[in-house]
Amino acid sequence: MAEYWYFNEAFAEEASSYFLERPEPVIVMDFTIGERDFVNAGNASSQIKMALKRLGVDHDILRRIAIASYEAEINETAHARGGEITGNIYPEFVVIKFYDKGPGMKDIEQSMVPGFSTADEQVREMGFGAGLGLPNIKKNVDVLHIDSEEGGRTLLEFMIFFRKKS
Amino acid sequence: MDKEKKYFHALQVKTEKCVACMKCVRVCPTQALRIRNGKVALDEDRCIDCGRCLSACQFGALLPWSDKLDIIKNKKYKVAVLSSSYAGQFSEHISYATAKKALLQIGFDEVIEESMVTELFGMMLHKYLQNSPEIRPVLSSSCPAVVRLIQVRFPSLLPNLLHLESPRSIVAMYYRQKLIKEKKLAAEDIGIYLIVPCIAQVTAVHQPEGKFSNLEDGAISIQNVFGEALEVLKQAVQDKRPMDIHTRGLGWAISRNAASDLEENKIKTLSVCGIPNVIEVLLKIENQQIDHYDYIVLDSCTVGCVGGVLNIENPFIAASRIRHIMNKEEAASFESQEILDMFEKGKFGVEQLEGRSIMKLSSDIKSALEKMKRIHQINAELPGLDCSACGSPTCITLAEDIVEGKSTIEDCVVLLRKKMRPKNNTK
Repeated sequence: MAEYWYFNEAFAEEASSYFLERPEPVIVMDFTIGERDFVNAGNASSQIKMALKRLGVDHDILRRIAIASYEAEINETAHARGGEITGNIYPEFVVIKFYDKGPGMKDIEQSMVPGFSTADEQVREMGFGAGLGLPNIKKNVDVLHIDSEEGGRTLLEFMIFFRKKS
Repeated sequence: MDKEKKYFHALQVKTEKCVACMKCVRVCPTQALRIRNGKVALDEDRCIDCGRCLSACQFGALLPWSDKLDIIKNKKYKVAVLSSSYAGQFSEHISYATAKKALLQIGFDEVIEESMVTELFGMMLHKYLQNSPEIRPVLSSSCPAVVRLIQVRFPSLLPNLLHLESPRSIVAMYYRQKLIKEKKLAAEDIGIYLIVPCIAQVTAVHQPEGKFSNLEDGAISIQNVFGEALEVLKQAVQDKRPMDIHTRGLGWAISRNAASDLEENKIKTLSVCGIPNVIEVLLKIENQQIDHYDYIVLDSCTVGCVGGVLNIENPFIAASRIRHIMNKEEAASFESQEILDMFEKGKFGVEQLEGRSIMKLSSDIKSALEKMKRIHQINAELPGLDCSACGSPTCITLAEDIVEGKSTIEDCVVLLRKKMRPKNNTK
């Protein structure tokens, strides 16, 4: 069992208390992701993004949410056996959870290194699996939490605030 | 300004003709149409003048509007600026030059073409891209329906729009200046009229976005001149006056052609047509999930401008005829240092457009979130069939309309039917 946490300093305090209490979201959006279902890959992310756009979230922040969630959704499609995605929307931020069906990560720290990839040929041929996914997610989020174990399921969740860093 | 007249739209709503068939409601890409009290109602803030509802309506309740041919009588010297799709409307037995001369017969003093300047436009675009390397992709602004779509649904992409007049407006500007100078005509005696394939271009003439002044005196639909042109074809054939045709640029009426012309200038382009495809690609651009392109040509209509609702001929047939003309007929060349000079002086620049988002549920996130919560709750009660029998296009839009106080849950025919037959439900 291995866990990875990243906190953006600007929001660290507020974010920590969130993860301790895990309050009820105002809106929950649930999706099921199929293994290697590249045709529908990205739908969950775009629906969550659409909802946030309708709430009036700033477009630079929307773009970060879109990039991070699309990346994570592709990971769940391409590198895992599918799974679930849940978008939890709060007045100040969004927390999106990606819970896949395995096979789990051997070494999370190593996967955070740009260029490291475990993708097979089929996936790479489709233009995925360049080893930039997790670093790219980290770059765009305020909190990143990964909980994984080799042979088991992986939970990746991230949090992005709607207000800009002060 | 009167709220209801805030936005001009080149369509006429004839509620007395509406039979509430819901067809228009379903095809509208911005959910601007509803059936209220059994009649069609248009939300002027949301409509982008794409014209899809006009093709859908079979009962004459939604009709296009454009200037009538009569308006040219108001001016002493009348110039027609032809949309390239005009060339695709006539059968192969009628030469393009004859089709142009027919317009002289019905009262125009001169007939010019937007296709004259496509090559020059390519050069200007090339410069524009060089001058703004930080903005990629640049999105074409020639299709007014796409420009409005970006304003209402993708305001974050407004800076990416090409801030340059379209070829048709460049031709109009240049020609007006030329007539004043060379023919010594007074500005008020000159009438420049676009012959247009779609209502979006009519709206663009009557309520221009970003332009510093009105460049044209009217927009007459191809349908409004076609019949009259056919009647004078015999005289047009006998008309021995010379008539140049600028065939090379005619291809810009067909979606893919503008892009491939530009690729010769080493501009990496993509072309997309049809509103659903345009929306999908704009979403990808917004999410930065698209390959690198310098310039993306976006056309609201299928196949390009030949697909506009004010054309006569089927878009694929019109496109084929245009290709035939381009291959067989000799092209006149058109060079104008003056146009390039006007470009250098910034004459074709347009203002940065303002967004008018229809996306936001409320002005602040907290109240928007409360609204969205109620929308989701109501939507969960609705059957999810998207049958539009309630008068809203989908179940989720009905839920939104209920939250906005514009509809009630009783409008849902499926739920009402369940209530009326309680026995069937309690099995």
